[in-house]
Amino acid sequence: MNHTRNLFTLIIAAAVSNGALTTLRAEGPSREDVTFFENRIRPVLVKHCYECHTKDSDEVGGKLLLDTRDGLLKGGETGAALVSGKPGESLLIQALRWQDIQMPPEEPLPENIVNDFVKWIEKGAPDPRTANPAPKNENNPNEHELWSLNPVTNPDVPDVQNSEWTHDPIDRFVLARIEAAGLQPTDDAQPRTLIRRLHFDLIGLPPSFDDIQQFVAAYEHDQEMAVEQLVDSLLASPQFGERWGRHWLDVARYGESNGNDGLGRNPTFPHAWRYRDYVIDALNSDTPYNRFVTEQIAGDLLPSDSDEQRDRHLIATGFLAMAAKPAKAMNNNFDMDVVADQIDVVGRGIMGLSVACARCHDHKFDPVPMREYYAMAGIFTSTETMWGVAGHEKLTAPATSLHVLKAAPKALPPADFVETVILKESATGLPKKIPKSKWPAGTPLAMGVRDQGKPADAKINVKGDAKKLGEVVPRGFVSACGLEEPVSIPEKQSGRVELAQWLTRPDHPLTTRVIVNRVWQHLFGEGIVATPDDFGVYGARPTHPQLLDHLATRFVQDGWSIKRLIRAIVLSRTYQLSSSATEELLAKDSTNSLLTRHNRRRLDAESIRDAMLAASGQLDLQPADGSLIRHRDILVNLAGNLHEPSSKRSVYLCYLRSAPPPELAAFDLPDFISVTGKRNLSTIPGQALHLFNSPFVLNQATRLAERLADSSDDKSERAQLAFRQVLNRNATPEELDQALQLVRLTQAELNSENKAWASLAQALLATNEFRYVD
Amino acid sequence: MNFSRRNILQSASCGFGYLALQGLLGDQAQAASTGGLAPKIATHPARAKRVIFLCMSGGPAQLDTFDYKPQTGKKPHPGSVFSFRQHGDSGLQISELLPETARHADKLCVINGMHADTGIHAQSFLQLHTGDRLRVRPSLGSWVTYGLGTENQNLPGFISLNTSKSSIYSSAFLPSIYNGTPIGVNGENMTKATIANIASDHLPRSTRRRQLDFVQSLNRQHLEARPGDRKLDSVIESMELGFRMQSEAPGLLDISDETKETLERYRVGQQKESVGTCKVTDFGRQCLLARRFCEAGVRFIEVNHGSWDQHKNHRRDLTENCRVTDAPIAALLDDLEQRGLLDDTLVIWGGEFGRPGLTPGNGKNETGHNANGFTFWLAGGGVKSGYVHGKTDPTGARAVEGKVHFRDLHATILHMLGLPGNDLKYWHAGRDHRLTGPEGGKVETDLFA
Repeated sequence: MNHTRNLFTLIIAAAVSNGALTTLRAEGPSREDVTFFENRIRPVLVKHCYECHTKDSDEVGGKLLLDTRDGLLKGGETGAALVSGKPGESLLIQALRWQDIQMPPEEPLPENIVNDFVKWIEKGAPDPRTANPAPKNENNPNEHELWSLNPVTNPDVPDVQNSEWTHDPIDRFVLARIEAAGLQPTDDAQPRTLIRRLHFDLIGLPPSFDDIQQFVAAYEHDQEMAVEQLVDSLLASPQFGERWGRHWLDVARYGESNGNDGLGRNPTFPHAWRYRDYVIDALNSDTPYNRFVTEQIAGDLLPSDSDEQRDRHLIATGFLAMAAKPAKAMNNNFDMDVVADQIDVVGRGIMGLSVACARCHDHKFDPVPMREYYAMAGIFTSTETMWGVAGHEKLTAPATSLHVLKAAPKALPPADFVETVILKESATGLPKKIPKSKWPAGTPLAMGVRDQGKPADAKINVKGDAKKLGEVVPRGFVSACGLEEPVSIPEKQSGRVELAQWLTRPDHPLTTRVIVNRVWQHLFGEGIVATPDDFGVYGARPTHPQLLDHLATRFVQDGWSIKRLIRAIVLSRTYQLSSSATEELLAKDSTNSLLTRHNRRRLDAESIRDAMLAASGQLDLQPADGSLIRHRDILVNLAGNLHEPSSKRSVYLCYLRSAPPPELAAFDLPDFISVTGKRNLSTIPGQALHLFNSPFVLNQATRLAERLADSSDDKSERAQLAFRQVLNRNATPEELDQALQLVRLTQAELNSENKAWASLAQALLATNEFRYVD
Repeated sequence: MNFSRRNILQSASCGFGYLALQGLLGDQAQAASTGGLAPKIATHPARAKRVIFLCMSGGPAQLDTFDYKPQTGKKPHPGSVFSFRQHGDSGLQISELLPETARHADKLCVINGMHADTGIHAQSFLQLHTGDRLRVRPSLGSWVTYGLGTENQNLPGFISLNTSKSSIYSSAFLPSIYNGTPIGVNGENMTKATIANIASDHLPRSTRRRQLDFVQSLNRQHLEARPGDRKLDSVIESMELGFRMQSEAPGLLDISDETKETLERYRVGQQKESVGTCKVTDFGRQCLLARRFCEAGVRFIEVNHGSWDQHKNHRRDLTENCRVTDAPIAALLDDLEQRGLLDDTLVIWGGEFGRPGLTPGNGKNETGHNANGFTFWLAGGGVKSGYVHGKTDPTGARAVEGKVHFRDLHATILHMLGLPGNDLKYWHAGRDHRLTGPEGGKVETDLFA
């Protein structure tokens, strides 16, 4: 399927309806035409033609000027460069095709660019350079081509036939679509299914057997109250932030090392964990999302009332410092690579827009011209990014300062701590001397950003090359978002405060839509927009656009509260549907785009591990104090395996890039190098091998077996406890028989009771029932 | 023959995707006993039984490897900047950078008229693998394994060595049993890459089998209560494959039984340092593993090297990319031939697009992307040998004759394997899908011997 072509068809169709095909219109080109010109035509003219064909050129080639519309029409020595509407008769096209004239002289342009010019001339060569200011779309002056850039509306809640079915306005938006399709939603989930779903979705841990029994009883007594009480207690639990913080850490491409720098080196980020803890705390204390975003972008510039708050704000800016940087060695673009990462994490992470594509050229399809990339880049080039000493390897990255915290306690390395990784000079092979830290041992430090001494606007990097500088672009944001108030950035500041203000404006069309969609996706397995990091032209369209806007509006009205948003969604009838449905429903809504049922989902890597620890009774709910690598400024690749077994929740494992925790790696961890709003869900034999052979799984099975042995001498009771611990339910009589037979035969074969019970425990941990949530 | 399986899928009691195909071929009983990887019979005589795809990511520079463009007029124009010479009886033009590959000139079927839709790396790379630029769709290797099953039931049918992101080897909506199994990650050293957790000795095999039987019995009950959930089906099958892999994969991954001479020919472990865009990948070990998997009956093996995206330092980085891949590829072709495998193994070389040429003498050493004309080569598996199909214009800027799009290449590869290029389909989300997309691809019979 050729999307580009479809897009052109749309643009041309729009142009036809506006009458642009006939001639160059006196009133100026349409908005679509301007977009086309600005994205496809002007950059080519600037790059390939202006050197010889502007009035400023040293020697104007063929007396042809291409920097104005009049120049193009008037032509040069060989005549008019173009005939409007007739590419075949236009000299410009003949030259671009290297026919009689051959331009540009070095080499012919790629076919797709030539085709752009053909299309442009077919449309009448609309050219805004001397035209009157472009009017908006005549048919609908306020409408943008890209749905996500139109203002968020507050749609009326639709009428539905079966209004008794609904709990919340959310349900009406959903039911209206289902009814329009002539269908009905499936049944409600059973209470034991619902509590398991809520536990995993809200805190990432399974309910215990007793939790389920109590909930089922309460549900039968008063359904609504039982669910509300459960939801409120889960939202208030400290495990909530660990679960939802992890979701945000995926967006923030959180990692505890730089990742492969392209030269095979991978320096640690020993202080990154403070940002992890900040995120978990922010989710637990329900920091309003606008505040959360502001702290991460401009925390260092915010006023604070206490040392604790100051520390918190500084740590939050770690969001901008987590870049997976390519090596500094021989890389002229290193500083701009860091900036590109920052623009990307803000662009895709917060706005769902791939602004970073415009680093080297105007965005190919989303409305982000290269100028605006460098307008944002100026904000970050005016910002100093602090990642630390980069493993003391300056070829990887130059050492930077770090934020020094005031309220956080000092933490000295243990007395017996010896660093085993020794760097060698590449020239001599002798051990390198490690520079002494500029701070006393144990000083609490944090990654983050602060303003440069001399903030300044950035220059365009021609083709993304930091050595080829173009014009200076005043700092600013993305104009396509339509928030057109002038930005005034104080002379002595980077502009991050203003950027945060702009992003968190209630009328920003993207920020609220993107976050409510992220939340929805984590509760349903699929977002209303299926591409959570891409709300651009090539992203998915929302299945329920009005519902999305309803949620975004409500989110702002509710004080940007993530917890209230989650609460509203999980109390909806839609969320509480069963994941089973009739054959007819499965056939008619095969992808569940109407939300006629809930989506059955596999647990993510963290929940699988955490649930195994819960089942074995080993789970340690105390948050980790720091990280495995908090005292290690080293190159991970020289260190071998740094990971150590742990009973803490998975979120506290050491997320080294290019060397992820082996206990999680089998189940689709992202690479933590760029924004990941949606993880893959693959099924590969490597997962089976993990369940069969990984030391972690074998250890949990052994621990659970010990627990079973301690619990009772009665084998049936032991087996029953195994089911309760792992699957949170009683075994059926048939299952119990099978389980006891497995134990009996295994024990006979191995002559070891412990191993026989561990074999049963491992088997239960390996079941689909354990890994999937209905 | 139409492979669409909508009705059969819906009525099949156990729902495995392969059942439809097996049913059509009258081999349902076999399918039910060995699962979706059971070998299947081709629909027409096959020219090849298996594929090794040497995937050169980043856009290899065709004008300095296989598509010779000498200067033609008075005015210098873009073209080849390394020297070329004719090789073999066929007189194929091959660049000085590939002396070892050039020994095999008479085995190669060079396609110089490749073209694709976009010069955006990620999109074109995805299109090369899946036919689609934007969405996660089944990879070529998944389609092939879906169509043919595999010869060795103890190994995955599709292995991707030194791979990049999972969308490249994903089975997407095809049953997960056709998903590629990754070994190693592109950009990292492959020297020690293996399959994690491939073995442990905590239980003897018979005990493990009994344990798995218990697990699968619970899994089937779980599935029965959730009819029609193909993901759960896939997991059950994947558990079986994982179990079987434990017996065979460890031996195949251990190359210590190879002679010193062989390790030398493949240059195993000899690449010590990354040069520019050319990363240390131990490409030699990959090629050797590819041969071993090929011998063991794996249906589709992808071997990766990159990046060929040598923008700034074209001459230096291209030289290095060629140097580290040349001997291992030649050794692989030697071994396949010597072991009689080349006749029914299709070897494919190419990347997501090519590059424009440099103009000799103008001092520039930087190249960009060119999706309008580039080169692939095929060898073995019933393709013409010592043959060139298609051509680009005198500057190599665009394909002008014998144009082959990725979808044409896909249709051709499927056809060579005995599968219907445009009719290998799978019902998903309300319609039939195929590798060659809505446009379909042309089977390039001119490539066939």
